[in-house]
Amino acid sequence: MAETKKFSIVVSEGSFDKAMMSMMMGNTAASMGIDTHIYFTFFGLNLLKKGAKPKMPGMYRLFTGMMVKKMKGIGIEGYQEQLAMAKDLGIHLYACGTSMEMMGVKKEDLIDGVTVLGAAAFLNVGMDSEMQLFIG
Amino acid sequence: MDKTDTLDAKGLMCPMPIVKLAKKMKELKVGSVLELIADDVGAKEDVPAWCSRTGNELVGQKEEGGNFYFYIKKVQ
Repeated sequence: MAETKKFSIVVSEGSFDKAMMSMMMGNTAASMGIDTHIYFTFFGLNLLKKGAKPKMPGMYRLFTGMMVKKMKGIGIEGYQEQLAMAKDLGIHLYACGTSMEMMGVKKEDLIDGVTVLGAAAFLNVGMDSEMQLFIG
Repeated sequence: MDKTDTLDAKGLMCPMPIVKLAKKMKELKVGSVLELIADDVGAKEDVPAWCSRTGNELVGQKEEGGNFYFYIKKVQ
């Protein structure tokens, strides 16, 4: 077996497309046995709120339902299901502490199992990763 | 090809065949051979990539009637 690799993702937007991309990349990586870490900052933080239901950006928000339906038709589950899968697969989920303060989000507003982390601490994770992605 | 179990992933697009494959392989014993059937063209590259990354062995592969068949042996 190839040695365990580390993968880190920063998500800075909370729209449906960014949400799905981060989950699909993350869940695929975790399914490949890759140690996966996702850091949610700025509007990305909204994705960690309990019951988050992201919409497509701008005027495309009206087409969110259509998009969800189309994805379900090709076997891709919704955002909440993917997030549950991420937790099952042991993906590390982090919330940016500064974004929480800035947007008035409390720890209890977030789903369970999220670690609040500062930039320096996450950069340490990123530095140890073989691959880093920015989704925003 | 001798197989222990079959996973039908037809109709599923990337990354679902891989996510389901990983989950299924966890349930199988070492030495088992899983037959995976997919119709997503991406699976042709994705399944071998998954095998080499996770250290499992792709013991066979064929294309039939627009479907892709993979035979994956659980090594660890």
